[in-house]
Amino acid sequence: MKLIKKHIPLAIVVVTGLFTVASYYIPNKTSVDYLEMINKWENIVSAFAFLLGLISLFYSHFSKISRRTDGWGYSLFVFIGFAAMVVPAVLMHGKQMEAGQVTSLGWAFRSIYNPLSATMFAVLAFYIVSTAYRSFRIKSGQALVLFVAAFILILGKVPLGQIVWDKALGWTHYGVDQVIEWIMSVPAVAGKRGIMIGISIGTVVTSLKIIFGIERQYMGKD
Amino acid sequence: MSETWMIAGVWIAAGLTIFLFSFLYKDNPFFKIAEHLYLGAGMGWWFQVYLYNIWIPKVWDPLAHAPHDWGVLIPAVLGLSLVTQFIPKISWVSRYGFTFLMGYGAGLVVPASLATDFMSQIVGTIKPFSALGSMSAFSIFNALLIAVGVISVLFYFFFSVEHKGAVKKVSNFGIYFLMVYFGAAFGNTVMARFSLLYGRFDELNAAASAHNFYATQIILAAMVLYFLVHGMIGKKPSAEEAH
Amino acid sequence: MKEILQKFFKIDRRWIFLLLAIVLFTPIIRPIGLPNKTIARDTRNAYEALDKLPKGSFVLFSLDYDPSTRPELQPQATAVIRHAFRRDLRVGVVTYIAGSTGLIQQIFEKVPGEFKKVNGTDYAIFPYMANPTAVMTQMASDFYGIYDKDQDGKDARSLPVMKGIKSYKDMAMVVNITGTSILDSWVALVGDKYNVPLVAGVTAISQPGYGPYLQTGQLKGLIGGMKGAAEYESLIQEPGKGTSGIDSLNLGHLLVLALILTSNIILLVIRYL
Repeated sequence: MKLIKKHIPLAIVVVTGLFTVASYYIPNKTSVDYLEMINKWENIVSAFAFLLGLISLFYSHFSKISRRTDGWGYSLFVFIGFAAMVVPAVLMHGKQMEAGQVTSLGWAFRSIYNPLSATMFAVLAFYIVSTAYRSFRIKSGQALVLFVAAFILILGKVPLGQIVWDKALGWTHYGVDQVIEWIMSVPAVAGKRGIMIGISIGTVVTSLKIIFGIERQYMGKD
Repeated sequence: MSETWMIAGVWIAAGLTIFLFSFLYKDNPFFKIAEHLYLGAGMGWWFQVYLYNIWIPKVWDPLAHAPHDWGVLIPAVLGLSLVTQFIPKISWVSRYGFTFLMGYGAGLVVPASLATDFMSQIVGTIKPFSALGSMSAFSIFNALLIAVGVISVLFYFFFSVEHKGAVKKVSNFGIYFLMVYFGAAFGNTVMARFSLLYGRFDELNAAASAHNFYATQIILAAMVLYFLVHGMIGKKPSAEEAH
Repeated sequence: MKEILQKFFKIDRRWIFLLLAIVLFTPIIRPIGLPNKTIARDTRNAYEALDKLPKGSFVLFSLDYDPSTRPELQPQATAVIRHAFRRDLRVGVVTYIAGSTGLIQQIFEKVPGEFKKVNGTDYAIFPYMANPTAVMTQMASDFYGIYDKDQDGKDARSLPVMKGIKSYKDMAMVVNITGTSILDSWVALVGDKYNVPLVAGVTAISQPGYGPYLQTGQLKGLIGGMKGAAEYESLIQEPGKGTSGIDSLNLGHLLVLALILTSNIILLVIRYL
């Protein structure tokens, strides 16, 4: 039983991992064929991974409804929202346009999913402003550097800010857009590149640990 | 879809937008409804995209119609094995799917991140110096600044050496480069968030036209009325304040 | 004095929300009339990279964003696709974000008609795929191994627009517009490995993160956020949502700066008075 439960899955990770690494460096036909096959498989397997999220969302809201917990009525709207997308999709075979006309699926995207998803993220604009007011403290040299960089970026990205800059600092003969260009292509590159190199080392180490079966938390307990 | 449906769509969109925004004033049932609809609609949209783009054409069709491709059974079974996660007794079956995904992902990431985020970045830092003769003084200064910056940031991340003396100084210098990067990122985040909000306001403005029968104004007025009435009926001694 | 300032500092944040709403909404109704003037180097590079491609070259667009980043990225995508059509380039569209399919639809309802471009002959839209890394690697050897049909179920190989296209070798450029890390995969798995010129459009949030790739030339150009969209629109001389958007952001940006300065000054005064 241990063979089926543990050793074969570990063998899968070692074999697919090593073969995939090798296929990057070996440009022959076998390696290309292998990669083609495994790419197709991967695309299908990861589509099924979506079901995990779907099932757990449905399960938690279904149990809220069946146990009549506080606010269970709202959970009904999860299913209503789901049906509002899937029913028109089935009727229209997944087509959003037909003969130059928006179908009911295209309509559902525009009237329901699009405004909801867009507004959820737009709300964050309000919080970033109130947080900037309350928590952006210039207390140290480092915070000052952060503030100056942010200030120049926020000011210089809009025309009105550029006018303000020209009025106040026009005598320097440097436009704010030139200063932004320099920040973005010199000191910010250095900062980000340091982070990038650091992360790449971490990624490679973790991935190798996964391939060799040292890191196997994702497999759960025995 | 007919014109009537399109206008109804505008009303629904404007209504859902305002319901979600209403949370900024106070939590309320309309917000909760819109929030739950969002969860369901998002899942529903993805579900139909997966269904009509992958499950039917890539799995069902090759199995059901000639010329058959029985090979897709392997990834389909591996994919389905993931779902056994929810059945404790046989949840170990899901390991087959997960190990496949992890092996593939890790295998792809190792060479790619070595080449792109490690080697290329080191080369990119050194390379400008190869043309030193033809560079202006300012370009040389910039190239030097990048090189010094990258090295000092790496010192900052270099946890295995104790940060004392010279190492501490270098790594402190690195922090300034990180701060410039974070500052630039914050500045741009403000712009990004405002752009999204502008997008919603722009749509609300379009919905406010006479052609759409003043959807925005009417729904907004209804929400204000709701808060007024609700405030008067359910007035508690300590007014709830959002902080 | 101190108490008044303290009170002012601890103002109910809903007043700030209201202020922001007014400052952003008013210019939509009454435009300020200060459109974008400057053009960033990276946007110009993106424009020029596309502009110098010979007529009939095939450009693959990977449009990977959903409604949550639409106001920034949809105007970018629209502007670049307009540019491609005007230059008579062949356009192929793929996506790895499920929410993107509805937005792509909206672009292609309108833009091809402006240039009398025909689906299948001048452009093709391919279905959503779940795993970008797998598909990107696959397209290096055989595009049709994954995309055997277009979005409408037509055989992809026989589409006139796809004539002579089998892998990245046959494509002149890849344009990725995204608010996700899918761009990182394009750089690492395609641009670097197969030497395909790569141009990208990203949200303002992720823009600073791509500086290193621009410096090394791993990215040929980058359009960043709504400002980038406005810049590209002025390069192709077709003002759109990016241009009007920047006009509306003018006051909002100054408001944030004013708020940060005010709160810091208040705190200084409270401490030293």
